[in-house]
Parts: sequence; C-alpha cells; structure tokens
Amino acid sequence: MEFVKRLQESIEKHVDHNVLCINGVFYTYQDFALEISKIRLAITTEIEDSEKLIGLVTNDDLLTYASIIALWLEGKAYVPVNPEVPFERNAKVFELTETKYVLDSSDNSVYKDYRVIASKGIVDTEINLTPKQFSGDQLAYILFTSGTTGLPKGVPITFDNVQALVGAIDVESTFNLIPSDRCLQMFELTFDFSVVTYLFPLLSGSCMYTIPKGAIKYFYIFKLINEEKLTVLTMVPSIINYLRPYFGEINAPDVRYCSFGGGALHSDIAKEWSDCLPNCKIFNYYGPTEFTVYSGFYPYHKNTDTKSHNGIIAIGTPQQDTLYLVVDENNEEVVIGETGELCLGGPQITPGYWKNEERNAQSFFMKNENGKSVRYYKTGDLCLKDEEGDFLYVGRADFQVKIRGYRVELAEIEFHAKFKSEQKVNMVALDITNALGNAELGLAIESEEFDSEYIFDYMKIKMPSYMIPMHVRFIKEFPHSINGKIDRKELRKHFNIN
Amino acid sequence: MSREEILSKVKTAFVSVLEHENFQLSDETTANDVDGWESITHMMIITEVEKTFNIKFKLMDLMNMNNVGDLINSIESELQA
Repeated sequence: MEFVKRLQESIEKHVDHNVLCINGVFYTYQDFALEISKIRLAITTEIEDSEKLIGLVTNDDLLTYASIIALWLEGKAYVPVNPEVPFERNAKVFELTETKYVLDSSDNSVYKDYRVIASKGIVDTEINLTPKQFSGDQLAYILFTSGTTGLPKGVPITFDNVQALVGAIDVESTFNLIPSDRCLQMFELTFDFSVVTYLFPLLSGSCMYTIPKGAIKYFYIFKLINEEKLTVLTMVPSIINYLRPYFGEINAPDVRYCSFGGGALHSDIAKEWSDCLPNCKIFNYYGPTEFTVYSGFYPYHKNTDTKSHNGIIAIGTPQQDTLYLVVDENNEEVVIGETGELCLGGPQITPGYWKNEERNAQSFFMKNENGKSVRYYKTGDLCLKDEEGDFLYVGRADFQVKIRGYRVELAEIEFHAKFKSEQKVNMVALDITNALGNAELGLAIESEEFDSEYIFDYMKIKMPSYMIPMHVRFIKEFPHSINGKIDRKELRKHFNIN
Repeated sequence: MSREEILSKVKTAFVSVLEHENFQLSDETTANDVDGWESITHMMIITEVEKTFNIKFKLMDLMNMNNVGDLINSIESELQA
C-alpha cells in the first residue's frame, strides 16, 4: 500500500523533527517510530492474523497515534471509541463490529470484557516500520455516526479509499505541507475529519498540535496560533463563530493554510476571518465520512473568489477522480442551476454501511457514465451546479444536523427520549441557531410541564454529550402545517435562547 | 467590589446558564468539576458575566483562563481598568 510505505519513509526521514505537541510536551518522530514498533510487536504476538478490526481507545497521547500507524503497517483497521462517550455506546460499536481486541493507553482500561492490549509500558524493541504486504480492499478504519433507529451507523473505509484521498490531495499544487509546518489537530479521532489532520502532517514530517480534552477548544486554538505560531489550520466553521467577537484582537501572519470542512462556511465571517490571517490561503472543503473525508473544495479569497449561495460559501469542484452529480428524487441528473441532491462517485466511496443492507439500498445507486457503471453515494445535501461548473451548497434534505461538526440525526435523540419517558407524548428534537450562529439542540415536548430530568440522565448514558439537548420546552399542542406535519419552523420559535 | 461579592455574582451567572446549582465555585474550580460547563456553555457564561459586570474581556485573558480564580482575577482587573 503506497501511502503506508510513504508513512514509513517520512517517519524514518524526519527522526529529529517533532511529530506531536500534546499539552505543551513535544515528541519526536524518533519517539513515534519506537512506540509504533513496540505496539506493532504486541499486535503481531498477541493478535491472530485473521483478526482485522481492532478497537482503539482515543486518548490524547502519542501512543494512540502510534497505535493507528502500527495497525496500518500490519494491514489492520482501527475501530476508534472516545473514552468520554458513554461506555454502553462504545460497547455497542464493538458488538456491531465483533471487535475482540482493544488497544488502550489508559492506566486502567474499562474494557475488561475484551482482550486489552495496553499500549503503555511495552518493552523496548528494534524499530521496524516496514509495512506488511496486504490487499487494498482491506479496511483501514470504521467510524460510527448517528443513526435514525437509535443504533449508530458504521462507515468502513478501505486502504484503497485512503490511497485515493492521498492521491487527490497530492496533485493539488496549491496545498503542500513541508516539514517545518506546525499543524492544528483539533479533532477527536472518532471524527473522520481527524484523518486528514494527522495523515497529511505525518506524510510531510510536520508537527501536529492537539487540544487537551476538557480545554475550551476555541480559546486553546487561539493560544496555539498565538504562542506556537501554527502555520496550518484545519477547522470546523463553528470555531471561528465562537472567536468572532474577538477577531479585532487576532492577527496571525504565520498561518499559510486554513481549511474548513464539516459545516457551512458563511461568507461574512469568512471575510472577517480572512482579515485575521494576512498570508493565508483559505480552502472550503466538502466531503462526507462515506467518501473518505474530502471530495473537493472551493479556494476562497476575500477579494477574488467569494462565490456563495444564500450567504454560504461555494463547495467548488470535485477533486481528482471524483464525480459530482446533482439528482432529482428519481436519481436523474437535474439541469444546471437547479437544486437537487448531491451524489458522489469515485475511488474514495465506502464499500457501504456496516451490515446495513436496508440503508445501503437507500443511500447508494449505480449509474451508467460513458459506458461504465459508476456507483454513487447520496449525500443528503442539497446542492446546485452553476454555469462555471462550481457546486453550491443549499441545505440538508433530511433531519440531519451538524453540532460542532458532528453529524446528528434528530430522530436518534427523539428515539431515546421517547423510549425512556413514562409520559408517552410527542417529542421533537430541533436545531436552534444561537447568537453566534452555531446550532444548539432543543427538545420540544408536547405536554404540560413534568420532571424530565430522568430522561436526560438516560440520554447521557446512551449518547455522546454533543447529542444531549441543552434546552427543553413544554408545549401543550404542537403547531402543524397545512398538510398536517409538525411545523418545526414554528416550534423553533418557542426556543428564544438568545 | 470584594472577591466574595464577585464570586457570588459569578455563581449567579453560572446558575442562569447551566440551569442547575449542583456545584461549588472556588478559585481552583475548573470546567471538569462542574456538570455542563463545556465549550458552548463557557461562551454563554462569559457573555453572562460580561453583562453582569458591564465589562468586556480580552481574548488574551480568556485564552489563559483555566479556573474560576483566573476568571475572578480578570473581572477584578477589568473593573479597575
């Protein structure tokens, strides 16, 4: 696998460089190479060759990153679980993937029912970063996103998928990391955006700077920009929404690249943010987890490239080998300028949701393109293509929302809330925009007021914290639209949170 | 205004944002000690505190604010400014 081989070469070539800065402590590529080799030896001695999906507890430490590379050198996939997410949900992920082994750098692992490989304190060994030979259709990772039925939805990504992503970014001449780059890695490793924020720095011998768990992210990021002079930022737009009241105090001439993804980037804030970064190229990336992080981007420039639709910056054009297709409800391509659902085809497409045939039948379809059959993924995002071939984001086609970059199915929240509630009443989860322009979750309950605390306690053991509604309102009767559907727009007005 | 008075008003701001009172605030209290105090609510608390004391924090102060003691120090220095 070419990109794994290149990881080896990069790590070996940059031994005297720093690879990671975690909570103020720097680690070199030499330290990294040694930890990878130690964990790799533990993997080869303790795990049988046939076992391909290995659990990984995503602590914010060198060992966790080393574990990913060690697994890849052995042609195995990581199944990441966030230690801050309820155990029950993580156990569900391992159950769905039939994961038996878990790599865990914690002092005391909570995964007693699994075969835990403690990555801390493994004895020293020779450095060995030569990748094993394996086939590209093997899985590199599986990530789980929110699902409508209360069960998280697994997205498997193969080594070939990742190779195609690396190839597409490589040919992009406007984005080139160098060993002296200092890159922000703000993402939790269960979030697919993290793949680009660790993989590209590692392939270039650059240094990554993580955000300690528990830190107030947007202020910590500013601290890193200010004190560590970061040169490459990759962020979700909500971060700059939080920093916006303080833009006047930010001037970061060292930043060369700033990539956005995982949510709509608004033109007014992009312009103001751009003023804070005088020497920076800004990229507005688009891509779902199902298509291996990125599928394309729009190169934003505050003066020359500001294309937008309803105030949202364009998502531009597909990257190398990727096809974009905007379709109607019959999966037929719509004409230029007309809104439809964006579908993606090409080598970065996931083999399909993990053991979920029903969902796969809905989300993927085949289409004949110039005599070749192409498989497309339906993103659920509404887009239109303009005369110049740029794609513009219009909105979501379903009840999925983004909370701090995480995809959340509102139906999953409703499912858990209704399941636990003793009062069998209607409940609707809503996304509400706060004064800073970020989405917060609200739960509307169609009832006289009652004590709902136990429902929230239950949701907290079932779902990660970003999925727990922060606002609750009791409404005696839900408003309905003319065709009898619950009027979510009207319901939102009950949440005057600003 | 004494530190105790400031702390008491800060507590009121926390309660109004977090919608519960199951916490104690001292100089050493951090976000890890208080249920619901995280990225989003932090910004709401900051805004509430700014309104209460009629002050505006600087990003430099917010960046180094690691516990309630730091918050009170910043309020004190803003009130004197």
